[in-house]
Amino acid sequence: MRPETQQTDADIVRAVLAGDHERYAVLVERYRDRYARYAARMLGSLDAAEDAVQDAFVRAFDQLAQCKEPDKFVGWFFLILRNRCYAERRRSKAQAPLEAADSLPAVDRTDGGAETAERRRALQHALLELTPDQREVFVLKHVEGLSYGQIAERLNTSVPSLKMRMHRAYDRLREQLREHK
Amino acid sequence: MSDHDFHPRVKQLLDGDLTLADLPPELRAEGEEALRLLAAVDRRPVAFPTMTERVMLAVNTRPSPAGWRRMLEPREIRLRIRPWVLAPALALAAALIIWIAGPRTAAPAPSLVTVRFVLVAPEAKAVSLAGTFNQWDARATPLVRTGPNGTWTATLTLPAGQHQYAFVVDGVRWVPDPGAPAVDDGFGRRNSVLTL
Amino acid sequence: MIASLVALPLTLLSLQQGIAQRLAGRVSPNVAAAVEGTGTAASARGLPVDPLIQKAIEGGAKGIADDRVIAAVNLVVSHLDTAAAALREGGASADTLTIAAGAFAVSAGLSGSDITALARVGATPAALTVGLRVAGTLAALGVPPAENIGLVSVSLRSGKPTADLLLLPASVESEVAKGSTPAAAAAGLSRAAAAQGRHGPPPGHGQPPHPPTPSHP
Repeated sequence: MRPETQQTDADIVRAVLAGDHERYAVLVERYRDRYARYAARMLGSLDAAEDAVQDAFVRAFDQLAQCKEPDKFVGWFFLILRNRCYAERRRSKAQAPLEAADSLPAVDRTDGGAETAERRRALQHALLELTPDQREVFVLKHVEGLSYGQIAERLNTSVPSLKMRMHRAYDRLREQLREHK
Repeated sequence: MSDHDFHPRVKQLLDGDLTLADLPPELRAEGEEALRLLAAVDRRPVAFPTMTERVMLAVNTRPSPAGWRRMLEPREIRLRIRPWVLAPALALAAALIIWIAGPRTAAPAPSLVTVRFVLVAPEAKAVSLAGTFNQWDARATPLVRTGPNGTWTATLTLPAGQHQYAFVVDGVRWVPDPGAPAVDDGFGRRNSVLTL
Repeated sequence: MIASLVALPLTLLSLQQGIAQRLAGRVSPNVAAAVEGTGTAASARGLPVDPLIQKAIEGGAKGIADDRVIAAVNLVVSHLDTAAAALREGGASADTLTIAAGAFAVSAGLSGSDITALARVGATPAALTVGLRVAGTLAALGVPPAENIGLVSVSLRSGKPTADLLLLPASVESEVAKGSTPAAAAAGLSRAAAAQGRHGPPPGHGQPPHPPTPSHP
């Protein structure tokens, strides 16, 4: 969909640092949706996810001079968003995350109706009971479709430790889902 | 290991390393339960199509990320006044734009520019400004009558870039700025253009 | 992967919802539905959606009839398409900001080949974006295309800060106020800029076409 002549992320980062602030909009447009789903599943709410992604972009702008490898902007941005999502969950832990699946788009009439919606809601609810790092590995693997190897690279950790985290997540999800039946 | 825990082989199934057929018969039911869990994963995409403008609004009010020039540093003030539009021949009104621009150095153009809109409209009871910067809301940006000659003014700080606008006189008449370049609005009228 | 096959139409639905959100209460449901459809298709072609939304909101605010608002939105889309194709033809980076600037220039009376000519100068994306906006503004002031593109090209090549490009319309206006025609004013400014350029163009200006974007993680 993108023309071949498009600027690289590094081009844009350098242009913004040189004073072309307006050009930052191109990076925002390029990546605003890439991690939208990650944020929505991590936080259990579209509104909170939108705030988190927006906030992460503004923080990334403020700290852009610290982006040491401009061609890896998106990986660097992801880490800012990730920190923001962790912080958000700490802050809103006390609030009931019930809006989770209810706040998702109502456009989805094609895939199974009320029963599917109820199962999704229950799982999203259970996900929010996990620790953030358990939830994150589950979201990256089963929502975003990344392999353990890709997740390990992105989070700078090892595959065995990710598996251990994930396997605990499976057990806790099972427990949660049984309790909520 | 509590009775909630999935069997290690079922975890392999969840990880995608095994299929249901690989499980021994006594683990099939548990395997099916595990797959039902995965089937409930919500992979529907999420998009925030209106985010760009909100992020840009936020970053435009911040210092440069490079840190070498703060937005609110004192600026050289240049005035661009179009005296010829004040000619009485203009039936309705006349406008002039004064802008405060950044210093003329090798530094890039400022990200925010203060623009003063002035309309001379002695007969008007109310004048406002509508354009791409305020969602064309004719009530959002009223001009204030500042002089005895029917001079109406409003000062706005706008992001660098391009803006289209018109004056709205008495809430009903859309009037382009007689002193600014204008383009067709696509509806048979003209919009004034401000390039900052 | 199954998830990504399912993903496409749903992403488009999310985009539609975003457009609907911005238009809610500002335009009729008819116009909103039309813009959702047009905007989704435009976005899939890499075009910016904001100019369409702005035009619809403008039509709503001005009390224009639905069919004319929809026609104006479609005209904006065709300007965006013209600009995007012309920029690609000129080998320039075609991000949404630059395309929107090109579409403005088209709406002000410039053609696709004028846009291509400016793209071929090889200016930075930031300078090209400003150059396109300035060219559109000059067209709105009555400068004919040949003098317009001549002046903006020579200014882009001179490597002066973009803030200087932004002063071109005011310079033309001030010559016009002294009795010059817009064409003569622009031609005079071009000659002055070219002469200045011959006496010492700043080094290192202009850049080669950008390499294709690498795939991202």
